Amino acid sequence: MAPGLLGYTIRRLLWAIPVLFVISVIVFYMLRLAPGDPVDAILAKNYQEEQAQILRKKYGYDQPVHIQYIKYMNNLARGDLGISTRHRDFTASEVILPKIWVSTQIGFMALIITFALGIPVGVYAAMARGTFLDPLTISSWLALDAIPAFVMVPLVQWLFALKLGIVGLGYQGVWSSHMILPVLILSLPGVAGVARLMRASVISVLNEDYIRTARAKGLKEQTVVITHITRNALLPMITVIGLSLPGITAGALFVEQLFGIPGIGQESLAAVLAPDFDVILALVLFGSFLFVMANVVIDIVYSVVDPRIRLGAARGS
Amino acid sequence: MSNKMLTLMMGFVAFLILAVGVVFVFALASGGDDDAASDTENGGQEKKPSNAAAGKICEGNILYVPGGEPNSLLDPIQVGDVETSEYVVEIFGGLVTLDTDLKVQPDIAKSWEVTNGGKTYTFKLRDNVVFHQGGRRVTANDVKYSIERAADPANASPTVKAYLGNIAGLKERFDNKAATISGLKVIDEQTIQIDLIEPSDYFIFELTYPVSFVVDKDQIEKNPRNWTKQPNGTGPFKLAEFTPAEKIRLVRNDRYHLGPAKLDEVVFELGGGSLLTRYENDELHVGAFPASLLDAVKGGSNPLSKDYRAVPNMATFYFNLNPTKAPFDDPKVRQAFAMSIDRENINNVLFYNALRVADGFLPPEMPGYTESVTSYKYDPAKAKQLLQESKYAGRLPRVVLSYSGSGGTPGDLLVAIQKGWEDNLGVTVELQAIDSSAFLREQRQGKFQMLSDGWSADYPDPENFLGKLFASDSPLNYSKYNNAEVDKLLQAARRETDRTKRYDLYRQAEQKIVDDASIIPTYWPVDHQVIKPCVKDYPSVSMTIPKYRYISIDPKAK
Repeated sequence: MAPGLLGYTIRRLLWAIPVLFVISVIVFYMLRLAPGDPVDAILAKNYQEEQAQILRKKYGYDQPVHIQYIKYMNNLARGDLGISTRHRDFTASEVILPKIWVSTQIGFMALIITFALGIPVGVYAAMARGTFLDPLTISSWLALDAIPAFVMVPLVQWLFALKLGIVGLGYQGVWSSHMILPVLILSLPGVAGVARLMRASVISVLNEDYIRTARAKGLKEQTVVITHITRNALLPMITVIGLSLPGITAGALFVEQLFGIPGIGQESLAAVLAPDFDVILALVLFGSFLFVMANVVIDIVYSVVDPRIRLGAARGS
Repeated sequence: MSNKMLTLMMGFVAFLILAVGVVFVFALASGGDDDAASDTENGGQEKKPSNAAAGKICEGNILYVPGGEPNSLLDPIQVGDVETSEYVVEIFGGLVTLDTDLKVQPDIAKSWEVTNGGKTYTFKLRDNVVFHQGGRRVTANDVKYSIERAADPANASPTVKAYLGNIAGLKERFDNKAATISGLKVIDEQTIQIDLIEPSDYFIFELTYPVSFVVDKDQIEKNPRNWTKQPNGTGPFKLAEFTPAEKIRLVRNDRYHLGPAKLDEVVFELGGGSLLTRYENDELHVGAFPASLLDAVKGGSNPLSKDYRAVPNMATFYFNLNPTKAPFDDPKVRQAFAMSIDRENINNVLFYNALRVADGFLPPEMPGYTESVTSYKYDPAKAKQLLQESKYAGRLPRVVLSYSGSGGTPGDLLVAIQKGWEDNLGVTVELQAIDSSAFLREQRQGKFQMLSDGWSADYPDPENFLGKLFASDSPLNYSKYNNAEVDKLLQAARRETDRTKRYDLYRQAEQKIVDDASIIPTYWPVDHQVIKPCVKDYPSVSMTIPKYRYISIDPKAK
């Protein structure tokens, strides 16, 4: 590890603390200022003041908001994310962790497929620039991007499940053939975006002197494309991949809803509508933390890949 | 240096791609034998409909149905929602239960008699009722414990006061003025006597509601926080698995005293998804769908049309006009609003007759329902005239209709009714979506002008609709309906023990409530279902009752 990298990493991670603090305060107060609380939702039409008071006391909502916040943070420091009021027997971590894991696995598979297809497609389009094959390649993938998931899903369900009988539809765990359709629906629309970025990146690399040198050396075209062009063109993709990573843990609402996948996208929506205070807060903090982390990781990877980028230089240290 | 790093990264990505590819190939080859199947604690697990292989779903003895996410604990005293009730009535049981014709039948009780002019109910218990786990026999002490637990203020049951408040001494227990309930007397192990404050003919119906169901004292005292994760009841099914937002699995209770169920298991899938498509793909035995698809499903050429059936839902949609807020403090304005809703036409054109126009407040499935109660007919000319005669003629304030929803569009029904008011009365009613918990709060505080609401049956007696919702002293009268004449009728009905006379008193009260027009009933809903032909004896019943024990799967019927 380069000297100063460790210090930089620690400094950046420490910065995450005030960021998360501000976010948690804002969300915590916003939830409690909105009309209607989890106790209204639990008791619904059977609401009576006596029971409501007992429940508010049980969940601590009867106390001033800043006391509630301190208690919450106290528990959080001990790894306790609080209690779900929508799934009334369960703790917030029992509710969200399995669902985040489901969404992450599915999202990760989809992400890999997106980049595994998008990168070669982009390189191909760039190499074919000037011919009709370039716009044809990109636009045919764009067509997939243009169809919203809620239109695409019923179509593929009808075709592959009902007509052809190749796959089933209900959720039976992540590693089952039933997940092929959702993963494809999640991954294919993203291919066009990755391909276009890759294409632009390749084209800018093509004009570099070292490419001319490589060709002048008499290297085979295949070697030039793979080892010289593609490798160098991949550099900007690090940011794209890095920033996509926290997104996959957020789940995909439409796809989860339409395929009945118990992922975190569905749960987030339900938690907000319920409302389920501790689950919402846990999800927001988790998401923010991942986003901060992803940015740190991208910076570090950049500095390793390209030593010319000096960490912390922008702040003049 | 940088090239090495890139090579490493590319290698990693290539490895992942390869790994995913291999896993997919495996997954495909093994036909969906996912890792979840490794927990083979149950032989029946193998028969899950893992593939699109048509007809397979009818070979096992497990029923797959879509289920609703429970909104409360699987604890009889906490249940207030339809979703949770569906599971609680299968897992637990009370003194009495409802059969598929909604008649009261003995459950834990063997028989009962009513004495003291309808004020004393004495139940003889069966001697063969046992709890799921451990097999302990249920005695009169368990019944007493369960009801006293419901009334314990520390347990904050949202329903006990409304549904069991007539038991002598229950309110004192609930207000913490007594340690036990004076009206509950254990005569001997097999006999329990319940004394009421006032005579009641419908009390036996109230006992079919979960709040009085029997729970296991030993289990609750041993594990007060988490016992509902493995609830120990006496019902026809035991809870085998509950994964939030994924599934609830109930397995048969072989020692059920009313005869064990025919199915091995019932699996409720909570994840949602495209239910109708999954039904067509033989992954579910029952599919439900919205009225908007009714025409497509019922169409003659659709194979689904053979499996279709309409199940009336014992519920009522209505508008609640706040008589303490302008302009609805003038009855003429309320009547004008009621008369300018063209319910017939909206139902025909917009919903393919999927709903039923509510001619009164009680749904037709309700015992005591009578056609003689009538609501305001569509009469735009009369409506206009009434509005002209009202004190708000020509200077109607802004009118807001609140409904429970999370934004987006308010739904065809509300928009169509809104259009009717605009066309017939020239009034532009604003539609306002409020999220459900804020909606309930606004309703409770009486801040609204006009609400769109609904009520569904907890037990089959008119008291459940009229008494619970409109008696001024009922804890469930959240619309704060208050009419002295109606109160008098409802009170007389509550004490009346002759059922025919009682129904007649309710009829009079209902007509007055509807005439008042602060409650405008609009529709009685209907559930639209498709059921696989191999599913036999699926009860067509308009409210939540323990029903899965009647059902069987016949692999020959396709």
